[in-house]
Amino acid sequence: MPAQAETARIAVPATPRRWWPASRQGGRDPGAPSWLTLMVFLAPALVLYAGLTAYPVVRTFADSLYDLENMDAPRFIGLAHFLQIWSDETFLRAIRNTLVWSFIAPFLDVATGLLLALCLYAGVPFARFLRIAWFTPVLLSYVVVSILWLWIYNYDWGALNLALRAMGLDGWARAWLGESNTALAALMVTHAWKWAGFNMVVCLAALHALPSEVLEAAELDHCGWVAKLRHIIIPLMRPTLLNLYILAFIGKMKVFDLVWIMTQGGPMWSTETVSTYVYKRAFAWNTFDLGYPSAIAVVWFVIVLAAAALLHLAFRQREKLEY
Amino acid sequence: MKAQGWGDRLTGLLRRGPLLAVLVLYTLYTTLPFLWVGAMSLRTTAEISADHYGLPSPAHWGKFRAAWVDSNFAGYFWNSTVVVVTAVVVVTVLGAMAAHALARYKFPGNRLLYFILFSSIIFPPQIVLLSLFQILVNYDLYNTRIGLILVYVSLQLPLTVFILEAFFARIPQDLFEAARIDGYTDLQIFLRIVVPVGMPAIVTTVILNFVHLWNEYLFAVVLVSDEELRTLPVGIQRFMGDYFQDIGMIATGVMIAVIPVIVVYAFFSEKLIQGMTAGAVK
Amino acid sequence: MATVQLQDVCKRYGGAGGLTAVQDVSLTVADGEFMVLLGPSGCGKSTTLRMIAGLESISDGRLAIDGRAMNAVPAKDRDIAMVFQSYALYPHMTVADNLSFGLKRRGTPRAEIERRVTATAAMLGLTEYLARRPAALSGGQRQRVALGRAIVREPKVFLFDEPLSNLDAALRVATRNELTRLHRRLGATMIYVTHDQVEAMTMGSRICVMNRGRIAQVGAPLDVYRNPADTFVARFLGSPPMNLLPARLRHAAAGTVALVAGAEVPLTRWSDAALAGIAEASFGIRPEDMVLLPSDAGPQPSITGTVASVEPLGAETLLLVDTEGGEVTARLHRDTAACPGDAVRLGIPSTAAYLFGSDGRAIATDRAVN
Repeated sequence: MPAQAETARIAVPATPRRWWPASRQGGRDPGAPSWLTLMVFLAPALVLYAGLTAYPVVRTFADSLYDLENMDAPRFIGLAHFLQIWSDETFLRAIRNTLVWSFIAPFLDVATGLLLALCLYAGVPFARFLRIAWFTPVLLSYVVVSILWLWIYNYDWGALNLALRAMGLDGWARAWLGESNTALAALMVTHAWKWAGFNMVVCLAALHALPSEVLEAAELDHCGWVAKLRHIIIPLMRPTLLNLYILAFIGKMKVFDLVWIMTQGGPMWSTETVSTYVYKRAFAWNTFDLGYPSAIAVVWFVIVLAAAALLHLAFRQREKLEY
Repeated sequence: MKAQGWGDRLTGLLRRGPLLAVLVLYTLYTTLPFLWVGAMSLRTTAEISADHYGLPSPAHWGKFRAAWVDSNFAGYFWNSTVVVVTAVVVVTVLGAMAAHALARYKFPGNRLLYFILFSSIIFPPQIVLLSLFQILVNYDLYNTRIGLILVYVSLQLPLTVFILEAFFARIPQDLFEAARIDGYTDLQIFLRIVVPVGMPAIVTTVILNFVHLWNEYLFAVVLVSDEELRTLPVGIQRFMGDYFQDIGMIATGVMIAVIPVIVVYAFFSEKLIQGMTAGAVK
Repeated sequence: MATVQLQDVCKRYGGAGGLTAVQDVSLTVADGEFMVLLGPSGCGKSTTLRMIAGLESISDGRLAIDGRAMNAVPAKDRDIAMVFQSYALYPHMTVADNLSFGLKRRGTPRAEIERRVTATAAMLGLTEYLARRPAALSGGQRQRVALGRAIVREPKVFLFDEPLSNLDAALRVATRNELTRLHRRLGATMIYVTHDQVEAMTMGSRICVMNRGRIAQVGAPLDVYRNPADTFVARFLGSPPMNLLPARLRHAAAGTVALVAGAEVPLTRWSDAALAGIAEASFGIRPEDMVLLPSDAGPQPSITGTVASVEPLGAETLLLVDTEGGEVTARLHRDTAACPGDAVRLGIPSTAAYLFGSDGRAIATDRAVN
């Protein structure tokens, strides 16, 4: 029976064809939200975000163009702060320290994490317990971690120097945080101590997610542990490792608490980071001027976003090339 | 046969020797500092100065009472609890609602909003720190709990929305349509379907936000100066004078700050680990 | 119980020039009928169902249930129940809660809910699972809960959106039978969307074949199979699909003959008047209507060709044969002995012939055969 016959059977109402209100036609889908619904869900978060994140960011940009020594009478000075920044030795030092820390230290974090994860993956006794124990430092606040390591690095009775002296390496003992050539490295180690567990857990999850067939195939191809690690496991885990690197990188660009409590940027600016320097210029110096530190924050904001975007792009580019 | 079995086991042990050594050493490396502070928290500063690595005998449990009452750790603890719990509750509610809207509804600007929120996760804190200080001063919120709570909510909002959106978006669309045929309004769908189904992710963000905020230092130190309102991380630091450290009291304070986290961790270790690594594990 | 009427229903996405998913669909589903919407993916069958459910707005046209206009009525007030492909069970509720949920929303008295849930669970064999959550059920059990959730509601219309596609083959056959029995027992109006012709043929009181947003044909399953309205329906129903070969028509005093792939097939199903003026057409023959002729068979309508491949399926054997009109498939007895490369002769009974015009529409037969 052709379709036409079917249509003909429908009883056509005598009323005019368009008896339904025209406005209903092609109206919004029942699944689409009304603006009221959307606002109920989104407005609280958006208002808060606008007021306490978006507006402050804009205001910091604006502040950077003003001299705010007297907060009630801001004086517009254009880009003067930005020009001043490029000749600010301490700022350049802070940038260098932070970048060194951000780019180099993540290797330490991620490598430690991967190594620890491999140990647990190899099937050692108490793996579950060890995983939980190693993760503990992640939960501790920077204040607590800083205090712990201040004491560990203490010249007279710190655990590190005691250990060195016990091994007869008295000459190596030093005030680790008090000397400008070791202070930054000492902070990096502390930071890695806190975060290694995090990287370990993520790597372990990625290891367990590896397709076991591929590992078995590698074994059939006569791969030893080292070869398997180098040719199979690490390449397969690349996305995870890169992701961890970026996370660690961003974390270190932001770091403040650790440095502030352990060294306050000293000695001789050897551990000064952008975060601590902004804080000092804003709140710890005698001159109370929020304009100049705002300019630093703006510059740093741009650098962090650009670096994150660059890393993201660079890693994505390489992914594309390989597959 | 037997001899060979022993030999195998011996070579196995030798081969695994380095591995086991790494395990033991690293476990000591992560736990010893903590045990050390635990021991110091039960010893007086005088005892500690005499021998920094002594065992707590006799154990001065009274130090905890002293810290709690005389050194105002009760106050710090209370401030931390009020501020962090309120902020976590608020950020969870706001974040879940926003995440639901972004995950479920198509509307112009949806992805733009998501991208803006997402990028905020990597903002360095300085970009808002200085102006938040001014804004709170302007609106008489500087040095108030409510001011710090609001800032904490805004700090954790992007990450909360990010994690919840990813989870909510995986709830099948059919479920919502079934609910609509059953007569649910948009708000009821959120409360009766999305929240219960998304509970694992919500718990994850609660844990993550709680730990982050419980440990937060920078904003707490900048936005609150009143001794009466200080939170734990700032409170402990008060005992770190430039020339004199009351090591015994600091150690006790550290334990007071850490014990709640450790207790929670002891009971919900898997959930905490999951929560803290959410977003990094794919 | 209810009738469902669609009249010139359209669904357009986007503004002017946007995609048209459903166009001018007019269909009446009678009270108690099991109507199957059948078609390939993207043909608009699911969209049509979702418009009936109220999950999509209707861009143009009219929808009525029991004579009452439904265009502007929200889904919850249409008194329909829907079974989804993914079942859409509420994962945080027990089976009992899933079943009673929709009733509670509608303010059904507690005792009545209790009665219906118990009865439905018993009917579907779910009684012992009432306290479980969906995660603790097998795929088939989840499917039955989804079904039960619709049944307890005692709705005017049941809507099914490919409900069997997530089940494995054996379970699918069992559930198919169960659904058919259920339909007989409840006598309810059901509209069922599927892309599986076997489901459509076995379950539907009538089937509605859709193609590119339009209705291609509506009718009882065997009617549609026997008298496809166009080449699309002819090839969509039946597996393997109907063979279509180009044909020229020779009009002669003794009757019209189709010249197809070197064969002369007398068109006995049509009167000369029906074919007048037609010179070329598509000639259709279903694979199961072809017969393998022995080499000594007498003269009769047949095409010859070379076997391209042999597919023994056990119950039958498929022969793919290259002919001068193109490749044809024949569905033959399971003992058929043929090898690729063999020359074969396939008989074409003139009573099994179909003709389609250049627009793809069937040329209606006007002579009773059989």
